[in-house]
Amino acid sequence: MWRTTTRAARTWPYLLPALFFFVGWQLWPIVRALWISFTSFSFLLDDSPESAKFIWFQNYVDAVKDPLVRSGLWHAAVFTAIFLPGMIFLPMVMAVLVDRVHNKKAAGVYRLILLIPAMMPGPLGIGPINYMLVNVFHLYDVTNQPTWLGATNLTFLSLALMEWWWGLGFHTMFYLAGLSTIPKELYESARVDGASEWRIFWNITFARLRPILLVLVVLRFGTAFALIDEYILTGGFDRSRPTYTWTVYMWDTAFQLGDQNRGYAATIGWIGTIGMLGVVLWLFYVFRNKD
Amino acid sequence: MARQRRSTPQRRLPWGSIAKHGILISTCGVILFPLAWVLLLSVKSLPDAYTNRIWPHHFDFGSYHRALTAIDTLPQNFENSIVVTVATMVITTTIAVLAGYALVHLPTPGKRLILGIFVASLFVPSRVTGLISIWEIQDRLGLINNTWGLILPYQTLALAVSVFIMRGVFETIPKELPESARVDGASSFMILLVRNGVIVVVITNFIAAWGEWLLANTLTNDQEKRTLTVVLASANAGFGQWLWPTMAAMYVIAILPGLLAFAFAQRWYLRGLQEGALKG
Repeated sequence: MWRTTTRAARTWPYLLPALFFFVGWQLWPIVRALWISFTSFSFLLDDSPESAKFIWFQNYVDAVKDPLVRSGLWHAAVFTAIFLPGMIFLPMVMAVLVDRVHNKKAAGVYRLILLIPAMMPGPLGIGPINYMLVNVFHLYDVTNQPTWLGATNLTFLSLALMEWWWGLGFHTMFYLAGLSTIPKELYESARVDGASEWRIFWNITFARLRPILLVLVVLRFGTAFALIDEYILTGGFDRSRPTYTWTVYMWDTAFQLGDQNRGYAATIGWIGTIGMLGVVLWLFYVFRNKD
Repeated sequence: MARQRRSTPQRRLPWGSIAKHGILISTCGVILFPLAWVLLLSVKSLPDAYTNRIWPHHFDFGSYHRALTAIDTLPQNFENSIVVTVATMVITTTIAVLAGYALVHLPTPGKRLILGIFVASLFVPSRVTGLISIWEIQDRLGLINNTWGLILPYQTLALAVSVFIMRGVFETIPKELPESARVDGASSFMILLVRNGVIVVVITNFIAAWGEWLLANTLTNDQEKRTLTVVLASANAGFGQWLWPTMAAMYVIAILPGLLAFAFAQRWYLRGLQEGALKG
């Protein structure tokens, strides 16, 4: 007993700082938001969530009927569907190619160049991509440039292009780490057996990369479906635009609209979160080890 | 005869290799092209900027001056960003190293549970869903519209990933080593072993804090309290009144710290990534 106590006393000073911030500003806020979502807390009417009325699932009933919640979830899903395949498979192709470069120096240079965009602040990329599409590729003219990115159906594709550019190198590194664990003899013996390159890729490379693929799919699904910065920056709070997703609607409700109904905003946030968790569990099920 | 046999496969053009390097080089081109374009744009004179010439007729560095003077709070915003980012990098890295060490080399009760919660948090959009409550906490602490106050929620931006990475790095160190290091009092030796992993964590936190927009935009109101990313991104997105070269100059100013840090630390960063930071 004494032993475990002294042991714990030795350990906790190391762990407590991390747990303090993690619980205080990450775990507690979402739990607290769940509680707020059961109240009618409006920031301009009530002093605190405690003084607001506890209304059980009324917010959820309202939210499910709310067309803005529905379209917000739908738009977020559309963007995720456009964004995800490119963000998963382009880096995989790059990693397989870089892994086959035998010259160490050349492989290092490729890695470095691919990684450069990852060092930049994401939300700032909007300016340059606007510039490229307007002035370099002439897809839009100067008169409609400030609004076009938020207003058309090409919005999501443009944002996806930006994110692909940004994340290509970083995700390639993940795959390369996975590829480096595959013993080279596996390839050689497969070639000796006369297996085609496609079969080798499918049965050895792809099979071995599956755990990394799962992690990346889940993580990127999360970032894409809960994206908010780029939407607000490109589309603002214009409801007619596809960028008015559930995350933007939540922000708008909590900090701008009417009485700032934060109970309802928390509900929107939690509906999005529940939807995401559902998909994540489904992904884990799809990718489960079938052997 | 023997010589001929050896030279036959060499005479065939290595199409596979050409295609491989071709794809890689063109991808690198796609990566570098926008950057080069923005960099060149920032030193173009106005007439050059509105024609399609890639290389400017004559160089004009006035855009940098205009960018820095057009928004009069910009030096303050730059300072705010540096303060918040450096504090986040130092604090998060320190606590992540401590936690990673405890999770591997100390007899921590509930090790798996703690690690599990950290990993599970990666799959939850806590920054978005928890925003309302983060605002509430900051409000209770009197830290709304306070630049230094941002440091608290910023700790969590990359905390879970950082702990996960440091745990992976400490796993690569044999269990006996910390014991003997403690006997010799050589804890600095341990830091040397995990150096590359620490660099990865530092850079990860730098990117997260320097480019953070949502929290900074929500928790601060006055322009002089805000970070560079918030002010520039707002200026960038609604840039109707901005001239292209000025905008490009602002962009270069904002990304330069990241690129310099990366150029400086890239060797350890790449090694850290390979060493196990990504394998955990």
